[in-house]
Amino acid sequence: MNGMQGISKRIGSIKFSCVSPDEIRRMSATKIITADTYDDEGYPIEMGLMDPHMGVIEPGLRCKTCGCKVDECPGHFGHIDLAMPVIHVGFIKDIKSLLESTCSKCGRLMLTPEQVEQRRRNMELMEELGGDSTDVKLFSKETAKDASSRGICPHCGAEQVKIKLDKPTTFREVTDNHKLTPKEVRERLERIPDEDLQTLGIDPATCRPEWMVLTALAVPPVTVRPSITLDSGDRSEDDLTHKLVDVLRINQRLRENRDSGSPQLIVEDLWELLQYHVTTYFDNQTSGIPPARHRSGRPLKTLTQRLKGKEGRFRSNLSGKRVNFSARTVISPDPFLSINEVGVPIPAARELTVPIHVNAHNIEMMREFVKRGIKPVTENGKYLPGANYVIRADGRKMRVTDRNAEEIAENLAIDYTVERQLIDGDVVLFNRQPSLHRMSMMAHRVRVMDGRTFRFNLCVCPPYNADFDGDEMNLHVLQSEEARAEARILMQVQENILSPRYGGPIIGAIHDHITGAYFLTHENPRFDRFQAMNILTKLDGIEIPEPAGVDENGKEYWTGRQLFSIILPKDFSVQFKASICQGCAECKKENCEYDAFVKISNGELVCGTIDVNGIGNSKGKILDRIARDYGSDRACQFINQVTRVALGAIMNHGFSTGIDDEDIPEEAKLEIANFNQECIDKAEAYVDSYRDGTLDQMPGRSLRETLEVKVKATLEDARNDAGRVAGRHLGMKNPAVIMAKSGARGSMLNLSQMAGCVGQQTVRGERLARGYWDRTLPHFKKGDLGAFARGFVTHSYKTGLSPTEFFFHAMGGREGLVDTAVRTSRSGYMQRRLISALEDLKLTADGSVKNTAGTIIQFKYGEDGSDPARAVGGKVIDYDDLFIEVLGEERAAALLKLDRKDNGENYGSREKDEMEYIEDEEGSDFEMDEPDYDGGE
Amino acid sequence: MARKDTMNALLTRGISEENVEKLLSKYNTMKAISDAGVSELEELGIPSEEAADIISKLSKRASTKAVSKPKETVEEVEIVNMELVSNPHEYTETEKQILDICEKENLELPLKVVVDIASRIQDKGLTDDEVKAITEKAAEMCERRRMDPNESVGIMAAHSIGEPGTQMNMRTFHYAGVANVNVTSGLPRLIEIVDARRVPSTPSMTVPLVGIAAEDENVARHVSYEIETTTLLNVATLETDITNMRLIVRPDPRRMDDRGITMDDIYERLNKIKVLRGLVQIEGYDIIITSDEPSYKKLQQIFDAAKTAKIKGIDGVSRAVLSKEGSTWKIITEGSNLKEVMKVQGVDATKVKTNSILEVADVLGIEAARNLLINEGRDTLSAAGTVDIRHIMLVADLMTNDGYVKAIGRHGISGRKSSVLARAAFEITAPHLLHAAMNGEVDNLEGVAENIIVGQPVTLGTGAVNLIYTPKRG
Repeated sequence: MNGMQGISKRIGSIKFSCVSPDEIRRMSATKIITADTYDDEGYPIEMGLMDPHMGVIEPGLRCKTCGCKVDECPGHFGHIDLAMPVIHVGFIKDIKSLLESTCSKCGRLMLTPEQVEQRRRNMELMEELGGDSTDVKLFSKETAKDASSRGICPHCGAEQVKIKLDKPTTFREVTDNHKLTPKEVRERLERIPDEDLQTLGIDPATCRPEWMVLTALAVPPVTVRPSITLDSGDRSEDDLTHKLVDVLRINQRLRENRDSGSPQLIVEDLWELLQYHVTTYFDNQTSGIPPARHRSGRPLKTLTQRLKGKEGRFRSNLSGKRVNFSARTVISPDPFLSINEVGVPIPAARELTVPIHVNAHNIEMMREFVKRGIKPVTENGKYLPGANYVIRADGRKMRVTDRNAEEIAENLAIDYTVERQLIDGDVVLFNRQPSLHRMSMMAHRVRVMDGRTFRFNLCVCPPYNADFDGDEMNLHVLQSEEARAEARILMQVQENILSPRYGGPIIGAIHDHITGAYFLTHENPRFDRFQAMNILTKLDGIEIPEPAGVDENGKEYWTGRQLFSIILPKDFSVQFKASICQGCAECKKENCEYDAFVKISNGELVCGTIDVNGIGNSKGKILDRIARDYGSDRACQFINQVTRVALGAIMNHGFSTGIDDEDIPEEAKLEIANFNQECIDKAEAYVDSYRDGTLDQMPGRSLRETLEVKVKATLEDARNDAGRVAGRHLGMKNPAVIMAKSGARGSMLNLSQMAGCVGQQTVRGERLARGYWDRTLPHFKKGDLGAFARGFVTHSYKTGLSPTEFFFHAMGGREGLVDTAVRTSRSGYMQRRLISALEDLKLTADGSVKNTAGTIIQFKYGEDGSDPARAVGGKVIDYDDLFIEVLGEERAAALLKLDRKDNGENYGSREKDEMEYIEDEEGSDFEMDEPDYDGGE
Repeated sequence: MARKDTMNALLTRGISEENVEKLLSKYNTMKAISDAGVSELEELGIPSEEAADIISKLSKRASTKAVSKPKETVEEVEIVNMELVSNPHEYTETEKQILDICEKENLELPLKVVVDIASRIQDKGLTDDEVKAITEKAAEMCERRRMDPNESVGIMAAHSIGEPGTQMNMRTFHYAGVANVNVTSGLPRLIEIVDARRVPSTPSMTVPLVGIAAEDENVARHVSYEIETTTLLNVATLETDITNMRLIVRPDPRRMDDRGITMDDIYERLNKIKVLRGLVQIEGYDIIITSDEPSYKKLQQIFDAAKTAKIKGIDGVSRAVLSKEGSTWKIITEGSNLKEVMKVQGVDATKVKTNSILEVADVLGIEAARNLLINEGRDTLSAAGTVDIRHIMLVADLMTNDGYVKAIGRHGISGRKSSVLARAAFEITAPHLLHAAMNGEVDNLEGVAENIIVGQPVTLGTGAVNLIYTPKRG
């Protein structure tokens, strides 16, 4: 903790370089010569792979190099002296290009001094112009290619023999198929002078090419490859240790054979074997050789495998980490929490702690926390926060227990740190995967509650894309004051009401909130005192307005619009069209017969119905304006209040829907059936004319394609008409229609499929055609191209599908499922690439966008420098609002357009449920695996 | 290749073997030698006359090339005959009024806002004071809605484009407008755009027409036949006559007429094809191609070559469909060849559109490619909820930043980051690390990924600000 105080140091830069054999030996803690690891007593053997000079992994032992214990000793490298040099696979391509571009006799780069001079100048110029490492790489490659195209060394005149690479690690001379041993390769590389290396883009100080042919192998410390002791007492060694044992064993045999003067053939075989083991030690997926396997047949995970891929060191351990002070559980809804709050179950609150630095002002309070111990409860059984740990000024951490609570509290002093349990109001981060945008992780205030689930306000479902069918979410408790401040100011839910994606509210009323608001305001209903009180009962700190009037029975009443107006800011004015707007050719505005023109002036709802276009997420105009003009505090208050009023209204009204909502009268059914039959006959007629060749071919289409287009269009008509008929008979009193029209849930298409006709099923946008020879199912004649034989469903969901229709429907449904499964992985990978490409871009103080190299990407962000979250649906200014504000309503009336493009999308649609279904089956692996590539290129 | 080929090339040019040896000791390619000049060759011990001779022999071909090349380009310029459309914005009275106010009051308003406001308030009889009030209010609103410095605009853009990706449809095809042309849409198209593929999976062009072609359907159809590739099979039926080892082509006069093709056209075209050269004859209403070898294999080759023979049209455009927009005709194509289509008479070359981004970059330049990226990105994304155009613009600007179109991914931007750690963390981990070691690269830890890896604050947002508060002592 002390290190955190004051100014922390930054790492300025990291330089990469190769290690020379000399350096490997110099930094080595011990030379390793024996392949055995432990002796009979189970102690590590000196100069073996588990030599205690290389660090310790067993508690109690001390490192023989630094004298530290486990966790304190960072580990030390050892080394193996290789009997014969061996090529490093990772550099094989570079070695090849070096061998080709330099003379085999004198080792000079095969370019004339003038050419070299030219190249140097170009290189300098390139660096001056800001060329990056990739440019240098490409340029050096070209230099090497130029040099290698020459057959005769310009320096010593020696003729060059072409070199061929036998993958993975063998070089041959093309002329006589002579194999170049690593030793020869190394000798050639040694001859290359430093100046020539610079021309080739290699810094001789950090990497001499002969180092790419290994004579000594660094052995990583034991802490890098710890062995595990199984329950049975057996030791199980790490894959790297296994591989090193192989290397040591062959190395030993090679040395013995070489020294005893064994036949050249045997030595060479062993040398190659050593090469194989060293190669697989570095990369066990080298193409061209079989991977080294464990006894069980599992391929070993060697150095490269440890680093690369999703589970590799970089992505799994360096770019992301496992953390403490976090919790995960199922989520459930609670409409009585503020959007800023999250309900945390008591068991979680007891485990999660906030460190509080003890000072003169809070020491008594902290003492109280500690004194309570780890599980305090009030007399009435309510939650009371205690403390779990106390950290002394010297850094010692003490666990608080029931037994020692009093004593620790007594000894509490200034500069101690108390790890206090969660209390209401603590700032925490709340997150749901997949974390696709910044609203997937927001800061909430804690409310400790009974139960076992996290709870939050329903309006916050859309940004997390959450529902309550078993979703789980994560919670992180912030541990520093800076983090809490930043989270509160930037990450709190109310600061994220406006989405930077489309410049509209992403948090807003959903589902029943919208239906409720509809009932409250549509046609301005009247409520008596009892009803009005019931609707308003969940609002805090409001004044009940004067009754709107007295009805014929002498009872006073309040109107719905009046009740809605209570929660609006007093000087708020806006005009817009509601979702139920029929889109008349000319808008009658205030006199709209559907009550679809919303007008609010000075905080009074004058006319219109409040629905999804008023308060809904992504479309809510009122919400949008309040969030923009009155600030996030007011917007938060408005959302909390409007949802409660809406719930009050829907509870007062009562609301339910069932399959009988899709009942339509007999004559309507007949009408639909007749029209369907008509269309089917028409389709049949097309098929006939196709058969006898009288069908007019469309330009650029084959006859068959023409038929498909015509039939599809006809059957499309059938469904649309069925929908129209059904819609006509399901009036605005129908709950399902209310939901669809007000934008709460569902669509008219859903309804017409339930009440009227399901329509044509498709796979890949075509009518169904696969299955048996020339037919989809054995129920049809071969070559039948009619409506029924190709997947037209004439029944509705309510009447039920015939067996063939059901089968066709399942075919279409299956395609949808497969689609979603593919889509999640593809779009996940695309987003990863986008983020990787764009993550470094930053808006600088002068309004330009730059990357880390300082290159200007945009001179002015978005060409106007405005914030997409603050711009209204992509426009910096909503002109209607501007005119009303400056000129007043009357004067501005002539200038208004009142058009509002829908933005956002239908969250929680059927698609999402399908997606989750797939996720469950395959695990939520939404990222594409790193595609296979072959080495460098 | 170089040495042996060069040697052969020199020998065929009649240069003595002795001199060739000398030349090759220093130079690799023909060009290097011809560039070297007489004096340099003399240094190699070649007598000056011979040297001059060599140079002249070598430069002969080079010089003919040099002459013929500019000729080609001249031709092209003549055919295309494009006018540079310079269209500076003409300010209306109202716009000027607003701009004046801005200047006087020292206010800052994006031009787009000025134009929009002006178009809305024009001729509505507003007083000068009202206009001024509107301008001032607008400027205030713009100021309030400015982006904060140090904002991580890139990540915001990536989120905004990536997030709706999960909700997009995978159904590849969709009909573009009225015409029955298939175009990739949805997620696959979006991936294609950010990948900067050389050729999109469904290239397509929209070709507006000018003059009489735009008005008259028949003229328009003729233009479309100039564009659409017509193969032999489109206008004729083929018949293999095995007994006489020949192929009989029976042209359909009606279809030929439709497409404005004559027998001579077909004859000429077929005769230009390598396999058929010299074998084609016109016999009455038919064209006969006789095999010169009595082998069925050859006959099959002839058949295949003839079947796919292009008679008319532009390469790469497999279909051209007419479509009416308002009162004017335009052509929608499958396949794309912008450069050639722009030359066709009757085509409005200034308004031809294609969805092939790299083709636009090649033909019209990088700014055009950037605009196309923005338009295509916006159109594709609009299917799955709106995305602010600023995000798409940022991606397009990043992709076209250095003059050519770079892909988003390991072959493009991510693979060219300056930071070793960032590149290693993205893809192809091991080769990046090894290369960094070999070249002694230094990672200056300026970006996001690398700072996260070493465990320190990133340089964006609140992490970009370095404020130190020194409390007063005592």
